[in-house]
Amino acid sequence: MDPIVYVSLGAALAAGIAGAASSFGVGIAGAAAAGAVAEDEKNFKNALILEGLPMTQSIYGLITLFLILMVSGILGGNFKFKNPSDINNIIKSAILLGAGLTVGLTGLSAIPQGIIASAGIGAVAKNPKTFTQGIIFAAMAETMAIFGLVGALIMIVTGVGF
Amino acid sequence: MEVTAVTEILDTTLALVFAWVGYKTTRILWKYTPYSYPNARIRAMEARLFNEQKFNELAESKTLNNFIINLEDSDYKDYLANISSYDAESIEKALDTALADIYGLMFKILPKRVNPFFKLLLQEWDVRNISSIVKAKISGEPAVNYVIELGTMVPKIKAMADAKSMEEILVILEGTEYEEIYQGLLLGEISVDEFETQLYRMHYLKLLEYASSRKDEEKIILEEFVKLKIDKLNILTILRAKAHNLKADVIKSFLIPGGTINKKTLETLLNVDDLSMALAELDSTKYGNIIKNVREEIEGDLSVLGREFDRYIRERLGELTRFYPLSVAVPLNFILQKETEIKKLKAIAKLIEDGIFPEKIKDIVGELT
Repeated sequence: MDPIVYVSLGAALAAGIAGAASSFGVGIAGAAAAGAVAEDEKNFKNALILEGLPMTQSIYGLITLFLILMVSGILGGNFKFKNPSDINNIIKSAILLGAGLTVGLTGLSAIPQGIIASAGIGAVAKNPKTFTQGIIFAAMAETMAIFGLVGALIMIVTGVGF
Repeated sequence: MEVTAVTEILDTTLALVFAWVGYKTTRILWKYTPYSYPNARIRAMEARLFNEQKFNELAESKTLNNFIINLEDSDYKDYLANISSYDAESIEKALDTALADIYGLMFKILPKRVNPFFKLLLQEWDVRNISSIVKAKISGEPAVNYVIELGTMVPKIKAMADAKSMEEILVILEGTEYEEIYQGLLLGEISVDEFETQLYRMHYLKLLEYASSRKDEEKIILEEFVKLKIDKLNILTILRAKAHNLKADVIKSFLIPGGTINKKTLETLLNVDDLSMALAELDSTKYGNIIKNVREEIEGDLSVLGREFDRYIRERLGELTRFYPLSVAVPLNFILQKETEIKKLKAIAKLIEDGIFPEKIKDIVGELT
């Protein structure tokens, strides 16, 4: 594959996988929120906050997408790694693909986060006092996505540079 | 390294990573997503289950009119609003309708891969009703008094209770799965006790078969639930039989296969001399703890063990609910809690109607916990 394909794939996968995972996560938690609100509309506020937690992974994916497009020059219309026979271009575009993939795959944590949030919404619907604990449990899954974003930033900055 | 070799390694890695991630993600989504909505809804319904304080308030109602007023802020309001007369029987019927609707709701909101189990659970009420009606008819009692308006064939059950002859019941049961067993009873091939055992055996085998056909957590939870119920039934049957000095061979014919008690323990239980020895034998099983605390009471009244067993099943399902929050354990646990709540409400209504003092009602209802 050409370097342009790797770089574009990296950017697309970062935003695409993380975005898809976020939508699944929000979907799972949203279904739980609907269930809790169907029985008692007082659950709305707590359920909404828990439901929103899996959305952050898609933001990390979007940040990575912009960074990859920026450092590779695609965003300015001047792609830096055009020559496919230059091994340096292949390596740098592979690093950008790796960075995108790291954020995309760690962004999959949005799915288990949605599952945890869903169980949390159920617990809060039964006992509203468990709201804070529910947030903390769901936020745990976020750390993996943060690690992924930090790793990708290091890869982009040290491996390719601005 | 050649550029093409590098790109090939990258492409292959990508393909492998995506295949694995895709498979795992699909599995996770398939497993948990269908329980998201129903379980949150059920949890919210659990929040409205009555606590001890509410039962005490209801016990102090003094009249059935007050009892109904005290239930006005509850889920039962709509069911009780339509009753024509304020008597325990009408209240019982309204509460049965509420329970039937809960089963219906479970069937509607739970994932299709597991909701037939709740229809099977509802069929247990059919089995209870058929068995009660047939026994009442044989002993010449009015069968209507024994009908609980719950199950999958309430109109047929009512028709059976009104039937003028045993043959008429056969016509009503025609085409149902109970027809063949009932025919055996009519032809004198089996006794009424054997008839009841065969009904329950057929029902529990169906439940077990369904539970075993599920996968992963669903299989674990449903199998454990059904096996616990079978164990309860078998242990109570053996202990009742021991209390009446029945022989091992006779008791054996009343047992339902598929429980967790091993063959050796069952054989020993069947062959011990009396109730005390049977209880001592059960000490070595996982049910030893249930018996330990109420041994003396059980020896006087076996229904105590039935209640303790029900409590144990509820506690075990509560544990499973905490361990698998997005699973079938949550609706099962809720159904059991709801059944207990309705059982207590019916008891309170009956006791109020009988003019029992509130303190006594509280004691009796407390025992039902």
